[in-house]
Amino acid sequence: MMSLLAAPPAAAARVRRARPGSLAVALTVLVVVLLPVAVTTERFLTLGNARAILASAALVGITAIGATLVMIAGSAVSMAASQTATVVAMVFLATLGQGLLGATLLALLTGVVLTAVQGLAVGYWEANPIVLTIAAGFAIGGGAIWFSGGTPVSAASDGFDVLNATPLGLPLAVYVLLVLAVLAEWILRRTTAGRQLYLVGENRAAARAAGLPVGRVTVVAWAFFGLCLAVTGVFLAAFNTSATTNLAGTLTLDAIAAVLVGGTAIAGGKGSALRTLGGAVLISVISDVLLLRGYSTGVQILVKGILVLAVVVLVHVRGRR
Amino acid sequence: MRPALRQERIVPAAALLLVVVAFVLTPLGTGLPLTTFDVYNALQGFAQIGLLALAIGLTMIAGEFDLSVVGTYAVGGMIAVQAGQSSAVLGLLVAVAVGAAVGAVQGALIAWLRVPSVPVTLAAYIALLGLAYAISGGLSVTFTNRAATLWVDHTIAGVFSPRSLVTLAAFVLVAVVLGGTRLGAELRAIGGDRRASRVAGVRVERKLVLLFTTSGTLAALGGALLSFSFASANPDPGLRPLLIAAVAALLGGASLAGGRGTAAGLLAGALSVALLAQIVAVAYLPDYSTQLFYAALLAVVVAIDSPGLRRGLARLRARTRPVGA
Amino acid sequence: MSGPLVVVDALARSFAGVPAVREVSFTVGAGEIHALCGHNGAGKSTVVKMLSGQLAPDAGRIVLDGEQVDLRSRQVAQRLGVALVDQELSVVPALSVLENMSLGDIDAPLVTRRRAAVRRCRELLDDMGLDRLRPGQLVATLSMGERQLVEIAKALSQRARVVILDEPTATLSDVESRRVFAAVRRVAARGCAVIFVSHRLPEVLELCDTVTVLRDGRRVVTAPAADLTVDRLIVHMLGEAPHRLETSRRPDPDLTHALRIEQLRVPGRLADFTLTARAGRIYALAGQLGSGASDVLRAVAGLHPRATGRVELRDRAVPFRSPVGAARAGIAFVSNDRKGEGLFLDKPVAGNLVATRLDRLGRGGLVAAGRERRTARSLAELAGLPPDRLADPVLALSGGNQQKVFVGRSLGRPDVRALLLDEPTRGVDIGGRAAIHRLLRDAAEAGLVVVFASTELEELLELGDVILTMRDGRVVDTYPGGADGAVLMRDMTEGKDAA
Repeated sequence: MMSLLAAPPAAAARVRRARPGSLAVALTVLVVVLLPVAVTTERFLTLGNARAILASAALVGITAIGATLVMIAGSAVSMAASQTATVVAMVFLATLGQGLLGATLLALLTGVVLTAVQGLAVGYWEANPIVLTIAAGFAIGGGAIWFSGGTPVSAASDGFDVLNATPLGLPLAVYVLLVLAVLAEWILRRTTAGRQLYLVGENRAAARAAGLPVGRVTVVAWAFFGLCLAVTGVFLAAFNTSATTNLAGTLTLDAIAAVLVGGTAIAGGKGSALRTLGGAVLISVISDVLLLRGYSTGVQILVKGILVLAVVVLVHVRGRR
Repeated sequence: MRPALRQERIVPAAALLLVVVAFVLTPLGTGLPLTTFDVYNALQGFAQIGLLALAIGLTMIAGEFDLSVVGTYAVGGMIAVQAGQSSAVLGLLVAVAVGAAVGAVQGALIAWLRVPSVPVTLAAYIALLGLAYAISGGLSVTFTNRAATLWVDHTIAGVFSPRSLVTLAAFVLVAVVLGGTRLGAELRAIGGDRRASRVAGVRVERKLVLLFTTSGTLAALGGALLSFSFASANPDPGLRPLLIAAVAALLGGASLAGGRGTAAGLLAGALSVALLAQIVAVAYLPDYSTQLFYAALLAVVVAIDSPGLRRGLARLRARTRPVGA
Repeated sequence: MSGPLVVVDALARSFAGVPAVREVSFTVGAGEIHALCGHNGAGKSTVVKMLSGQLAPDAGRIVLDGEQVDLRSRQVAQRLGVALVDQELSVVPALSVLENMSLGDIDAPLVTRRRAAVRRCRELLDDMGLDRLRPGQLVATLSMGERQLVEIAKALSQRARVVILDEPTATLSDVESRRVFAAVRRVAARGCAVIFVSHRLPEVLELCDTVTVLRDGRRVVTAPAADLTVDRLIVHMLGEAPHRLETSRRPDPDLTHALRIEQLRVPGRLADFTLTARAGRIYALAGQLGSGASDVLRAVAGLHPRATGRVELRDRAVPFRSPVGAARAGIAFVSNDRKGEGLFLDKPVAGNLVATRLDRLGRGGLVAAGRERRTARSLAELAGLPPDRLADPVLALSGGNQQKVFVGRSLGRPDVRALLLDEPTRGVDIGGRAAIHRLLRDAAEAGLVVVFASTELEELLELGDVILTMRDGRVVDTYPGGADGAVLMRDMTEGKDAA
């Protein structure tokens, strides 16, 4: 009777054998299929195109890195990403008169505070993250129009130009993306809070019963997400030189798509920032190939959706027990 | 814990009451009397989001969350316009059939592969958006069937239009089905306690497929009616309709935790949201105030539904009143 | 009358080669209430699972009304008229009583005929003595006892011929238990065969017509209840009653390192509980489900938000309002729900072993990789886990090894002063059990306060230096220096006042 609760030997063996990762296999298959299509595509294998791919992945990628931490912590997704990035962009542009450094710091602070407050409600109150972030999205979006008066906010000075620099031919945002991805991966693997994030995300009840600081860890994840959103907002502002209320467009869902393609499970407890980076780049590569081969935007988006769906099904079917 | 029953009735009732009172009182602020046209407009607003709210609300009752409804809404509108240039009814039927099929496929993935609904429906939303772009070339498509456009919005009894009546009829139909058959109880059972439902013998998987098929159908119908009314279909309505529909469903007493909600509540939620928008329009309040109102109302819903907050309050009560019951 | 309604003939079942039920036979006639008794591990639940279609027997037959049946699944059993009421309730809190009555009933009409359904529901509720419930009331508003009664009413409404009740009264108050008895009697009077499993021996004798006692998977005796007494039942259940004669003096109990619990209360679960547990000794809370034993531990660990009272560890107050506070004060808790509230099943063994001490594996909020590896390895050695399994997910381990990970997680930590364990060896085989007991003994000798709650007599006797018996949220008696098995059993099952 006692062994009822134990995994039978057969199941144990199956679990161990499944470990090598059918996700890795699937990605290999995808690359094998994609590679010949890609290299035979005219102008794909050029330096310029590689730059274009990275540049297009940069902004969504930065937000997605932050969203990865939130998803690993088991808080699913945020529906307020676009609005937050937009408000940050507005704050940045409006305060540029105080100097680039001051404006940037203020903008980052705005993003971190707005998002960390949501983390507090999720971490300590166990508020439903989706409902909460829908509310936050309305509040932040509405607030943005209120303060901007509905008119585009334009730069108070042109001090932002340095953000549009392209050292070695790549936009600055790409370097920032790489730095943030490495930083996030380091936080996840090497810091106490990062490691606790995985535990909280996998089994919140167990983390709570073990006395782990569930609330604090959740806030850390959201604060980092806020930082990434703010960085995205600052780059968006610098690139567009002015900010309207729908500046960030489809950022919210594009970021989630990149996280999901990176194989992070929506239920939490698993995932990696570097894989999200891979997800963002993969989406860019596929869109790029389709673009070069003359497919319309519609087909590009359609294929992206199907890719996300395929990865999601794979990840969850594999992770099931 | 007992708040479940009360909350699913009190929240929608309170929301509707609050908004109706505010609506009736708007003349005090504007100095202009309300007209039947204002009511007509509010009901048109209701028609615009009602079916989406119903679709998403139903999935929430069963403990799921269908983000794809706004994609189906867009595709439904696009297909209805393209297939309905000569016969609006044909366009409507094709759109609804596609919506049902899209929902059924997602339902099958969610039910039998047991994949959570948020990522599946999110991916489906992106794919549907791409589909809407692909069939329209990324541009708005004009609906040339003027007769149909005029017909769907003509006033009936001063305040209704065929569009708002169809939307109301959908709510009534759902209310009758959920209230009069065992489906209603089963839906809430699936959302409230899936394990117990299985133990009790509910065929959970089939119900989920049926559920997502229904939400796809309703969303496509809503999209089709909207494009008929606008005489054009927009390939990308953005996330806004989804979010407003979610607000309506949440105010309607549904919760993302599942197991809670009634068709009548969802109706009250959708009407509240529509009336709120109309108040803002009638009172010449700035546009963003609708968003702030939504945020404030949702904040209340979030607070009521937070287990950690409740635990904190219980702890406080235990400390201030040390003799236990 | 054509023979008994239920015939259980030489049923047998083993798990991983260990027999849990060996050739058990008994019969239950129509209108008979038949008790299955035995202490934990005797094989009762395995028999119940086989009778209700949740487990296939290795050998033997089940005959219903003269026909041999193959109960492949719970659904098949249901269709053949076997209803099971156990702790895994099938009532959904989000639905009304009325809706729950027909939930999942394949014969229920698709279109509800509300008036008739309400009338039928009303009758069933009245039958259960639940006349103050309304059919439209949400189950979420009912007490656990009322839910149990609704569950029974539901089982009856679905035309059952055989009703199995597995510990239906464990979490109920006396008044509610009375109602269950009355309902069970009515069910039997209607011609159903009732199989009743309970730990509460007086109620077994009061309610049932016949009693079958199981021990170590074998049937020991089947006798009319009228011929039995609680004492004789206990003798049958225990066989050679295990005594604990040596009251060996453990190393000097250290009062300065004590865990003091004063007037701990949890509304509805635990009345004033007071205990001073000294370091170096193992304290056992002996009580069945619902006795409050497990609530003591949960409250001290910060998992009962409504708990009040005072807890001190080494003369410093333990803020048990939250698990974080309790943990920081030096309390480590091992839940009885290893999967839901214990381990991180998808994470490797090493990650689980260090899960609660990530903040002390490096400086400045960092985790030093080398130190983590070394710590995990030394903990695995301490807990007796094979070092080559460190990288495997915990999910792939046996129950015994999983529990070693769970307990090992709290060992070797200077900041942990008290170890609280709820059912420390649930779902663990004999070998693993001995190993875990050794671990706990070592921990106590190393200066930890160890308190555990258990429902298993052998474990209580083997491990407890001081045993407190509990029932209905109160301490029945305290036995410093061990106790006699039969005495414990009586305390746990009938309380002092009944004796």
